[in-house]
Amino acid sequence: MCDALGIVSFAGNHIWVEGLHDYRPIAAFSFLGRYRIVDFPISNMSNSGMDHIQVYLNAKPRSLIEHLGSGRHYNINSKRGKLHMLFAGSMIDHDMYNNDIAAYMENLESIAHANQPYVIIAPSYMVYKQDFRSLLNTHIESGADITLLYHSVDNAKDAYVNCDILNLNKQKGVLSIEKNRGNAKNRNIFMDTYVMRKDLFIDLIKQAKKTSSLYTLSDIVSSECGENGSLDIRGASHRGYFAAITDFKGYYNANIELTDYSTATSLFESNWPIYTRTNDSSPTHYSEDGSAKNSVISNGCLIEGTVENSVIGRGCTIKEGAVVKNCVILSDVTIGAGIHAENLVIDRNAKLTKVKEVAADEGDPHYVKRYDMI
Amino acid sequence: MKQNNMLAMILAGGRGSRLHELTNKVAKPAVSYGGKYRIVDFPLSNCANSGIDVVGVLTQYESVLLNSYVAAGGRWGLDARDSGVFVLPPREKADANLDVYRGTADAISQNIDFIDSYSPDYLLVLSGDHIYKMNYAKMLAHHNECNADATIAVIEVPKKEASRFGIMNTDENGCIVEFEEKPEHPKSNLASMGIYIFSWKTLRKMLIADMKNADSNHDFGKDIIPALLADNRKLVAYKFKGYWKDVGTIDSLWEANMDLLDSDNDLDLSDPTWKIYTEDTTTLPQYLGPDADIKRAYITQGCVVDGEVKNSVLFTGAKVGKGAKIIDSVLMPGVEVEEGAVVKRALVANDVRIGKGAKVGSANSEHIELVAKRVKGVE
Repeated sequence: MCDALGIVSFAGNHIWVEGLHDYRPIAAFSFLGRYRIVDFPISNMSNSGMDHIQVYLNAKPRSLIEHLGSGRHYNINSKRGKLHMLFAGSMIDHDMYNNDIAAYMENLESIAHANQPYVIIAPSYMVYKQDFRSLLNTHIESGADITLLYHSVDNAKDAYVNCDILNLNKQKGVLSIEKNRGNAKNRNIFMDTYVMRKDLFIDLIKQAKKTSSLYTLSDIVSSECGENGSLDIRGASHRGYFAAITDFKGYYNANIELTDYSTATSLFESNWPIYTRTNDSSPTHYSEDGSAKNSVISNGCLIEGTVENSVIGRGCTIKEGAVVKNCVILSDVTIGAGIHAENLVIDRNAKLTKVKEVAADEGDPHYVKRYDMI
Repeated sequence: MKQNNMLAMILAGGRGSRLHELTNKVAKPAVSYGGKYRIVDFPLSNCANSGIDVVGVLTQYESVLLNSYVAAGGRWGLDARDSGVFVLPPREKADANLDVYRGTADAISQNIDFIDSYSPDYLLVLSGDHIYKMNYAKMLAHHNECNADATIAVIEVPKKEASRFGIMNTDENGCIVEFEEKPEHPKSNLASMGIYIFSWKTLRKMLIADMKNADSNHDFGKDIIPALLADNRKLVAYKFKGYWKDVGTIDSLWEANMDLLDSDNDLDLSDPTWKIYTEDTTTLPQYLGPDADIKRAYITQGCVVDGEVKNSVLFTGAKVGKGAKIIDSVLMPGVEVEEGAVVKRALVANDVRIGKGAKVGSANSEHIELVAKRVKGVE
């Protein structure tokens, strides 16, 4: 048992992942073949003993609703537990009023109605493992009003685009929250994860709404930081694997770096399962000429060609003589005989059969559209 | 019971002693197959895909794992209202003592009350230890077209192997005129697959008579089918074409796994219209390391491979270390083959660890080697 209501939040309007985002919210992005991004925050909550979880949806909810379903696959008690899908008021992409505070306002009663005295808010566009029970204990013991989770990185100049950073004092008090402008390497990336009392959360929602209709939760929390603020806001450091799916390259890189098994073990631990929806596909079949190395391959594939440094989703066919290198391939994609595909993100159900060479430069991956024929 | 008024009973009590250590702790239907499945997934998924809502599973030998496994009917979609998988081990009743199932027919007889509670028109009797895909709804349609009392699924086997099976001799209309159990000189090559559809009223009468017969073995093949024939009932054969395997031995279990390596194998587990459902595991997708060398293989999620895998089937969570070689072999769930070890023509049982540099199996062995105990590494 964990005395916190779980809230899985959506990405702010400043975050847009080229290509994939046209069809679904980041939460529903395929990740490492068999997962969706949203599996990570929900599994973290479920494994932490949180059995009341609200997932907020703000646009194009079809694939996310299909994936979450009844929520039973997340190992939440089917009688006492709940996985709620809650909708924002407008449900329109690129609508500046369609932000997190507007969605929480819309559903304020169901937040107030939950029995839990605490709330833990985690984003549906970041990938990490975190025991929220121990984070809640840290929060309670510290006596802080709000605890914010952050990850210290040394590559904030070229990665973590669109993320926020925390400026901390020596006692881990949060001085300010600001945008990552890429002007320093060493930064504390804010993981958009909050722990606070639920009544404070509700007060902040109302206060944000009163202040500005464009204010987000991070804006209102930011205004309470440092010397001008009236709340005690502290940072808690996260260790282990962390990825922010806040731009196209971030998505590609996170998938590719997890093809390394030792990197993956810092995210996946046997006592901390990441749940997802089963597809009942058969194991993957490698033919006489099929081969794969340095790759992560999902079930249901037929590999007759060569796969290297890639992530292959469920139900893909890689035909004879095809070479797939440095690609992130979503489900049910066909790579035709003799086709060479390199440095690509290939969206689901695409077919590459006619053009012999579809390749982008290393470090600059290209996107192939859903159901596209090349 | 609304869909076709047919209830299925799966006979899953057998030990499968010729599978040696593999069935020390679990019954044969619970033995792993094909990377991610258990054998009993096949009849259960066939039932679900054929529109059968109620399935009884008759368990007896080492049934703890099997009972809990099949009781989760949701895995096969058998969890809607008026639907379900029921585990039926022998039980003590008000008017009878607790008794083991004395034979395949007795297992059904002891559950007449359960079957009656659904008042089905038809009873489908299946084996829990065969690997095949079959649409039982089509078989029922055949049963009704022929106006039969019983329909028995048969498969053509090579004539020289026919004496290993129960052989059905039929007339020109497909009616069964004679049944011979493992005949020395078979008259036909139609082998019984152990899949029966009975009109329940007829079978019920036969079973009650059989229970009282002290000389009976209480077996479908030996007693019930001959009794139906003697009673001049209409028994018809339903010819099945496709993949069907009774994996009785280590060799045949290995072979059935190897069959999956053929690109055009008849079983085709990737057919989206007839999926085989199984337990959902929370493992990672499969990981292939920098030194992975894969050729002709069937590999499932949770596997981590950094060695050579040729002509082999790897089950959930199997790990192959750097420089290890897996050739013509089957690694059951959780097997770990450490660096530099070599496995040839072997079937490695669940969770067995093969230490660094160890060698098991041999390329020219007559039989497949079963590795059921930890093999120490060679320094």
